[in-house]
Amino acid sequence: MANAMEIYQLLPKTNCKKCGKSSCMAFAAALLSRENKLDECTPMLEEEKYSENYTKLKGLISPAEEASETGMIVHEELCIGCGNCVVACPVNVAEDPKGAGSGNAPTNERVILKVEDGVVRLSNVEDCRRFGENKILCSGCIVTCPTKAIEFV
Amino acid sequence: MEREYHVCTGCALLCDDIELREEENKTIIDSACRKGVAWIKNCQHPLECTVDAKDATSQDAIEKAAEILKSAKNPLIFGMGNSSLKAQEKAIELAKKSNACIDDTSSFCQGPFVEAILNDKIKSCTLDEVRDKADVIVYWGCDPSNSHPRHLSKYSYFPRGRMRQRGWEEDRTAIAIDVRKSDTAIICEDNFYRIPPKADAEFARALTEALSGKVPKVTFGMKPKEILELANVLKKAEFGVIFAGLGLVYSMHDLSPMEDLLEALNKKTDFHLMPMVGQYNMRGFNHTLFDQTGYINRVSFDGEDIGHGPQYSVVEVLKEKRVDAALIIGSDPLSSLPGSIAANLKEIPTIVIDPCKTFTSQIANVTIPSAVTGVECKGEAIRMDGVKVELTQMRKSDKMADADIIEKIMEAI
Amino acid sequence: MGFDQFLSSPEMEILIITHRDIFQSAANSDSRFSDDYANLTAIIRLDKQDMKKAGLKEGNLVTIENSAGKVVVKALQSTYEEPHPGTAYMVNGPWVNALVSAETSGTGVPAFKYIEAKMKKSKESSITSFE
Ligand code: SF4
Ligand code: SF4
Repeated sequence: MANAMEIYQLLPKTNCKKCGKSSCMAFAAALLSRENKLDECTPMLEEEKYSENYTKLKGLISPAEEASETGMIVHEELCIGCGNCVVACPVNVAEDPKGAGSGNAPTNERVILKVEDGVVRLSNVEDCRRFGENKILCSGCIVTCPTKAIEFV
Repeated sequence: MEREYHVCTGCALLCDDIELREEENKTIIDSACRKGVAWIKNCQHPLECTVDAKDATSQDAIEKAAEILKSAKNPLIFGMGNSSLKAQEKAIELAKKSNACIDDTSSFCQGPFVEAILNDKIKSCTLDEVRDKADVIVYWGCDPSNSHPRHLSKYSYFPRGRMRQRGWEEDRTAIAIDVRKSDTAIICEDNFYRIPPKADAEFARALTEALSGKVPKVTFGMKPKEILELANVLKKAEFGVIFAGLGLVYSMHDLSPMEDLLEALNKKTDFHLMPMVGQYNMRGFNHTLFDQTGYINRVSFDGEDIGHGPQYSVVEVLKEKRVDAALIIGSDPLSSLPGSIAANLKEIPTIVIDPCKTFTSQIANVTIPSAVTGVECKGEAIRMDGVKVELTQMRKSDKMADADIIEKIMEAI
Repeated sequence: MGFDQFLSSPEMEILIITHRDIFQSAANSDSRFSDDYANLTAIIRLDKQDMKKAGLKEGNLVTIENSAGKVVVKALQSTYEEPHPGTAYMVNGPWVNALVSAETSGTGVPAFKYIEAKMKKSKESSITSFE
């Protein structure tokens, strides 16, 4: 995923405020945190001269738009199915202390992460701690992954 | 509803919580890692039943195998790490009957540690104890994230255990000692100690010195302070464990540096060592042979007395051309042994029993397909920590279990 | 130095360390005769500077040779952050084992993980085949 600076470089840099943000840099940051959508920058959509940058930006941010609502992306081709994230995820531990929380196969359907056919699968993403009103920057599944297969955008 | 769990035989961790599910005519394998799933689905090229590279009935192949073993003066029986306990017992019986040398992969990998544990020279423990109690975990010369993928999540680092209820961040310290920053070392973050190749013994001695209050010195660029700090962490453990990988085994002439380190640690606390056995039942073979002969591998039944020693190891007997036939069970020496040594198999009659085509089966005179234990037939095995595990059957198969094949060869002799 | 600096692909001494790789293990269970298995096994991972020194680009074939044997494998740049000049990594398998010496001093244990060899850019058109 790109950083705010890279996104900014591709924006009009006119600080026109049409997107509702105070500056293009602020809009770049908002795109990164998925607070705003790219199409809210109307000049980019309407003006021909930005079209090339628009396509580039779309490519840069689209993984984020495809991601689950928490911004979580699993790179399946990197995942080795080790289950580290399954066991470390605090929601999994709370929902299934004897199963997933104790290193074993999940024993109910309330867990967020589980391993299917050797690759991690997401469900109940709305229960992820990074989601909703009281969201926090939980990183249990990121730091425990040996292959960096999980990413939040 | 009771859930039905299976055991994965993809590695010696023998994960016992695998579930199978049918979905749209496909079988989904739940909770096994990538390596386990590949193992359970098994190979694209199953072994065919052949004699001299021509298709044969299993009856013919078994008779031909019996003939080869019977006319050999001193055959080699090798492999069995991926066989059930019963098959291993039969293989030992067959070795006795045919005056054979019998050896397994432990001969050139984890053998020394398993031997030391069985002879009570090194204190070990079970994986369940590690999950329930361990607070300091050392991965030394091993990379379970690649070799035993669920090791950290199921037992050694991440799970909540009886006395480790607060989770890995607070309850456990994971340390990696290795020559390279492996995937496992990355998870250990700042607790990664990089040492040069072959420096394991020196590092173990430095740690032992540090534990007895001396200033530790090493010839490579690690500061005494760093070693002292590590020694301190080890010393303060309530329940510590060292997982020993091949990197550690290969770099030492004998185990004394590790024995001394464990002794020093156990003067202050409770510390254990467990070898990272690879094949799912390698330890089973070692235990079975040990019970019968007092040795874990490298045994010769040629002659009155039982012979034992490096001269009977698979490497030496093949190199010195001291065997005149070979029975290879569930192993592929042509890919796992030094090429020039394995090549000698081409010069003697060779029999391969395996579920899959291998480099060795390509050069064998007789090949007999077997079922994958724990997938296509039932059995028993010994996990990497010495605990016996029942293996279930996951899917139907008309292939014979290797135990039955060996039994039939014996009958035919 | 001598002539080396005038050759486009000089020969260099390397120390090879072997390791396991889960993707390769999975491919091994699937088929030992697949391209996948060869692609994940017949590779050597080199330090960035060593690649340069040997005049190699990502994916070039190299010939590795010592008294035990000779193989042709693909050279890739290693992903380790820290430099490791002179040391290279290979995954366990028949390719690296072709370079493991039969010399054991009678111990029965070959030096699987510590292999000294010479490496240079290869003129071959494909990796060594074991089939
Ligand atoms: S920790 Fe990473 S590699 Fe392991 S199961 Fe989760 S996503 Fe996959
Ligand atoms: S860790 Fe080993 S036993 Fe467990 S699922 Fe993976 S391959 Fe199978």
